[in-house]
Amino acid sequence: MLTGRFAAILFFCLAGANATLAQEPASRAEADRQRREEKSRNVEPYKPGGFERAMHFAEEKAIFILGREGLYPKLGSLTTGSGFAYGAGFRDRDLFDNKGMIDLWAATSTRGYWATEARLTFPRLAHRRLLVETWAAHREYPQEHFFGIGPDSSRSNVTSYAIRSNLFGGRAGVRPFSILLAGGGLEYLNPRLGSGENAEVPSIEDVFNPITAPGLGESVDYLRTTGFVEVDYRQPTNARKGGWYRFDLSHFDDRTTGRYSVTRFNTDLRQFVGFLAGRRVIATRLFVSTSETGPGEVMPFYAMPTLGGNDTLRGFREYRFRGPHAILGQAEYRWEIWSGLDGALFYDAGKVASRRADLNFKDLESDYGFGFRFNTDNAIIFRVDAGFGSSDGKHLYIVFGGVF
Amino acid sequence: MASTSISSSAACSSGHVLGCGAAIALALVVAAGPGVRSAAPRFYPDDPIWSDDDRAFDASEVVPIEDTNGYDFVVNTFTSPGERRDVRAMNVNTVDEVPDSSWFTNRIGRFGPAFTAAEAVRGPDTLAGVSLQGWVVSGGKSTGVQPGFRMTDPSGQLYQIEIDPPSNPELASAAEIIGTAFYHAIGYNTVDVYLADLDRSALTISERATIRDPLNGKRRPLKRSDLDLVFERAARRPDGRYRVLVSRFAPGKPLGNFRYYGRRPDDPNDIVPHEHRRELRGARVFGAWLNHDDSRGINSLDMLETSGGGRGWIKHYMFDFGSILGSGTIYAQRHRPGNEYIFEQKPGWLTLTTLGAYVRPWQRIDYPEVPRSIGRFESNAFDPLKWKPEYPNPAFENMRPDDAFWAARIVSRFTDEMIGAIVKKAQYSDPRATEFMTAALIERRDKVVAAWLNEVAPIIQPSISSDGIITFTNAAITAGAAAPGGSYQLQWFRFDNATSARTAVGGRQTTPDVSARVPADLLAASEFVGIEISAAHPRHPGWARPSTFYFRRAEGGWTLVGVERG
Repeated sequence: MLTGRFAAILFFCLAGANATLAQEPASRAEADRQRREEKSRNVEPYKPGGFERAMHFAEEKAIFILGREGLYPKLGSLTTGSGFAYGAGFRDRDLFDNKGMIDLWAATSTRGYWATEARLTFPRLAHRRLLVETWAAHREYPQEHFFGIGPDSSRSNVTSYAIRSNLFGGRAGVRPFSILLAGGGLEYLNPRLGSGENAEVPSIEDVFNPITAPGLGESVDYLRTTGFVEVDYRQPTNARKGGWYRFDLSHFDDRTTGRYSVTRFNTDLRQFVGFLAGRRVIATRLFVSTSETGPGEVMPFYAMPTLGGNDTLRGFREYRFRGPHAILGQAEYRWEIWSGLDGALFYDAGKVASRRADLNFKDLESDYGFGFRFNTDNAIIFRVDAGFGSSDGKHLYIVFGGVF
Repeated sequence: MASTSISSSAACSSGHVLGCGAAIALALVVAAGPGVRSAAPRFYPDDPIWSDDDRAFDASEVVPIEDTNGYDFVVNTFTSPGERRDVRAMNVNTVDEVPDSSWFTNRIGRFGPAFTAAEAVRGPDTLAGVSLQGWVVSGGKSTGVQPGFRMTDPSGQLYQIEIDPPSNPELASAAEIIGTAFYHAIGYNTVDVYLADLDRSALTISERATIRDPLNGKRRPLKRSDLDLVFERAARRPDGRYRVLVSRFAPGKPLGNFRYYGRRPDDPNDIVPHEHRRELRGARVFGAWLNHDDSRGINSLDMLETSGGGRGWIKHYMFDFGSILGSGTIYAQRHRPGNEYIFEQKPGWLTLTTLGAYVRPWQRIDYPEVPRSIGRFESNAFDPLKWKPEYPNPAFENMRPDDAFWAARIVSRFTDEMIGAIVKKAQYSDPRATEFMTAALIERRDKVVAAWLNEVAPIIQPSISSDGIITFTNAAITAGAAAPGGSYQLQWFRFDNATSARTAVGGRQTTPDVSARVPADLLAASEFVGIEISAAHPRHPGWARPSTFYFRRAEGGWTLVGVERG
């Protein structure tokens, strides 16, 4: 019995061995064919994993959601100090056979700011030689900071005010050369002031009056006319070299009382010097703003240039300084850490002045700090700047967008 | 086998004599089973094969794999897909060459001087040239950064039209023309590409032409204003016409891209992990030579070809050479590509922590002043061993000295004249561009060959004469990549093809010559013989890595049947 069992086992083993021998390929071609034949019995459809599917969605769908035509999510910032803003918009960027674009949006922010805007732009008229743009907007900024006017304003006098504006305007520019844009614009705006809604600081009227805060309590409509010249030869737009210069002259014509008209001249010069293959950049900026009023007229505080905040004096709070004249110098050393991420060391210095004669480099407020920029060739998408060295404490700014 | 023997002993101890004998027999048979399988000969009668029939089984059910930029970057940068192993390429034949397949066709590599400059220049092109007269615009271009659209010729054949950037006329089109010709001559599948003149005013848009709207990703009818946007970003010639690159769509059904790792699970013919394919590993060498930093899966193309009977197979293409050489497609190539991965930890952290005081070496490269059509390209600072693609490539990571040697030999076969002829095909309008590109490619070729031909004992073309003399050639010396000199160490052995056992015959010989006498008794009594050759050269320590050659007795002499390097 046992012997028979072993005989049977032996038979099957021999049969198996023979089968093995029969399968042994006699040639390389046959060996390869057998391997493919074996795989052909086990083919299965390719199944992407969860991460792969998520990446596909992010790249093929989510990008279009953020940058999509039609309805789109409006994310970012409304103005300096507004906090993160979110809302919805509608846009069409290929109007009139790609000659024009329209953008309508409304958004609110984490600090209670909100705004809505409609903008129609024709950037490519006459083979990009002509730019025409028009807009209408409404803005409500409920807690703008005000510390007083002039370089000696006190940090302890911090107050807030609300400003609500409607704006309607347009501008046109001609581009005789690719780097030069010159033009002018017209804008109607009706700023209205109200009590500040920041519960942590007093409202403006509790500390200041129309003498110390000109324009407080007044309602003025303005017609603003502007002429400008802009030279832009940055390479690339998120510059590694080149320059961007802008000069603009604006007249704010008080159409209500005739007592608050202002004429302002702004100069903004930005220069970028790259070295080590453009992976190190020295970026500098000089901004000068000077304003004047007619005889018997005064300049409302809310129309004055300001310094302080994430894009001017970064060691100070938003709008820390305010005055009819202002000068600001900024310098950054930027170094590329990885593609898409730059580090930056910065130094800011500037002041506001009550008299044009005081627009000089004496007694400047200053700060320094460091930051990181997540960027592309064309723009800084997101940055973190930490400012130190001022009399206003330390400040950390997390901002969607660049500085200069 | 050991465990089988123990079982047999146990059976015998039970006292069943017959059963004991049967058990022993069983043990022997079972032991013999695997033995028979493992006794597959090292060399089959048809070795070395020169054609891999990877179209043998029907692959018509495969589905497209279309990777995205981000996915490909993340997977290859932050994970290690495929198998990273120091193992010989798995698709080489026994003489260490790549057989023809759906991936690769031996051209200049195997046929050397018989592959002419004219063939190299013609490349994959099936037509002498193209004229766009009578063609219609049949769609938009929805992938890539280069402005363009699609056109259809009167026969219905589809082409992609691409135009150079205004900042760098001729840049990307020249790169594509040159790259296609080189990669085709090397042996890869590439699509036909042509240069043509385009008169914008003569364009006719097909009523059925559509475009994937760049703003929302939805397909819609193509409008003339879409073409206006294309031409806004295009280099226009002084006569108002445009130089365009015309790429012929490959035949078959698009299946997306191949990957430099793994195998397609749905393709029965795809049995070799891609990271272990010789032609994909060796592409690192070609990438370095031609600065194809965009050597990545998403710049490849798989097409399903079918026979009349409906049986299908995949043909694998190298694709998109618009950003090789000094081209960044729509701008002169940046400084980093070719020198450092997009994301590389060490230099990044060093730069971060030193506030930029640490300077990456490539940031100091002084690129020559060249015509804008060249972009940013150079050969002086180029170090092929330090060259890198945009991010890690699993096949490149697996490249071994034998893979590199194979590729470097191919590179060495491009003569100065051939390189010049291929560059001329790009039709640079500035003769200085042609001159510079040719000179740069020649210098880079020499560096590539010098770097990788000397990583192993560069012995090629061994043969045993009827009177028992072996002669061979030193590929590095022949290519001018090494100065004559040094010596060779030879060790003969007898080879058992069934067991792969090697038995040394005689002692190690040292000779300064590229010939030696074979031990007489070895040839007389063997079916297979072999020789291991290493070399010593003061400037090339890599020569110490031996090359081993196997010969089979054949009618009328000895035939080379096996090669191993390193």
